[in-house]
Amino acid sequence: MIEQIFRRPIFLLAIVVMAQVMLLAYQIKGDHDVRLIRYWAVALVTPIERVGSWSMSKVGGAWSGYVGLHGARSENEHMRAELDQLRIRNRELESQAAESQRLAAILNFRDAHPEAQMLAAQVIGSSADPASHTLFINRGDRDHLRINLGVITSEGIVGKIVEVLPNTSQVLLINDKDSGVGAMFELSRTHGVVKGSGDPEPHMDYVVNDEKVQNGEAIVTSGEDHIFPKGLPVGTVDAASPGNPFQIIRVQPAARLDRLEDVIVLLTQQQLAPLKPAVTATGGAAQAQPASQGAAVSGTSASEPAPAKPAGPQN
Amino acid sequence: MSVDYMLNVGEHSDRNIEVHKFYNGAVFAVCLLALVFQAFLHKYGRWAELIDLPLLVTIYFGFSRRNPISGMFLGGTIGIVQDALSHDNPIGMYGIAKTIVGYVASSIGGRIDTEHPVSRFGLIFVFFHFHQAILVITQRVLLNHSARFFTWQQLIDSLVTAAFGVVLFALLDRLRKSS
Repeated sequence: MIEQIFRRPIFLLAIVVMAQVMLLAYQIKGDHDVRLIRYWAVALVTPIERVGSWSMSKVGGAWSGYVGLHGARSENEHMRAELDQLRIRNRELESQAAESQRLAAILNFRDAHPEAQMLAAQVIGSSADPASHTLFINRGDRDHLRINLGVITSEGIVGKIVEVLPNTSQVLLINDKDSGVGAMFELSRTHGVVKGSGDPEPHMDYVVNDEKVQNGEAIVTSGEDHIFPKGLPVGTVDAASPGNPFQIIRVQPAARLDRLEDVIVLLTQQQLAPLKPAVTATGGAAQAQPASQGAAVSGTSASEPAPAKPAGPQN
Repeated sequence: MSVDYMLNVGEHSDRNIEVHKFYNGAVFAVCLLALVFQAFLHKYGRWAELIDLPLLVTIYFGFSRRNPISGMFLGGTIGIVQDALSHDNPIGMYGIAKTIVGYVASSIGGRIDTEHPVSRFGLIFVFFHFHQAILVITQRVLLNHSARFFTWQQLIDSLVTAAFGVVLFALLDRLRKSS
């Protein structure tokens, strides 16, 4: 009989299904629970699930740690790149701010001397000879520049034009050994000549030993050289000592000759009105109230010719 | 009558059928892992419910061993354990469905091609709905539950299960002993 059943599996299927139907009915009708089967099933599966959960948590933790680390690394690289860009941008802005200040100082100077004809210029180079203190500006014959025109900044005199080319001019600085500027002490009005010696600091010659000279005393142009108008700041006395036959006076130039970027070319030797303290002092540019950049550019920009003024006496 | 006789009935009944044998413990390990994964993956979201791993294992071993009696008992055992792990199903609901599926899969395994991926996809799709139909009948008749025979979600589940089954079957083929 049993062999018959196994030879005809459909009977066995019916028996197994019926057994399970009865098991279902037993559970439903009697509200019984087959705890033993559940117990063994859970006991069989839960240890593996526990191992799986532990493995998943470890793998998940390692993975999230890796992903987090990877994210932090890429974020770090991104922020470094952004920082580099911001640094470059900051330098650009600092440069623009400095240029703005320079242009504002020039504009202030120009506004302070509306009677004088002047032209803003940009320093584009310097001499290749270390012993020669000259520089080149971006103005030349086409801008009506001529030899022996004075070049200044809002802080003080810079030098004079010694060579004029169509688009550029060469400026001899006041600390060049071939340079000489008629000057005088602002207070005592004692005259002398500020001459270059090849050093960064020029000297003031022809001041007798009897003359009392104090360190820090201001020196201005005397106008005797027919290049610079009278009264422009030259510098201050840095050190003075008796010499033979004249005192040896070392002068600290008012203009920063080693870091010139924008200058003013005086188209006339007409005497300028006394400068305000803010621009006559050595730190005049820094103290000058910054004007709007648009106004500075439109008036005396170093890159554009200044608006022509009525022609005046030019030497 | 011995257990060996039970397990070899299929071979005695039709010696022309190619019966695949598996490495020792492979069937038990695969069935256990299927049950564990089915219970375990539910923790990780709804997507795990799209695939009925115990059903796929029942179908696969039914196709491969082609012994209706072993297929029936294997399906029944898997179904009962699945019921037991569900905590709210009465024991026997999945048991009945998988018993019948295991039997039918083993019976037709020797008659049609169950090795080609396309036929596997189609057979899994059909068996999924067959299994679902038995479950619904059981619930309606025996448990007096109002279960629906067809839902669009079931259709999606059957397609996903069939697609996954084709891949799983190819992997399980590696557990076969080379004849």
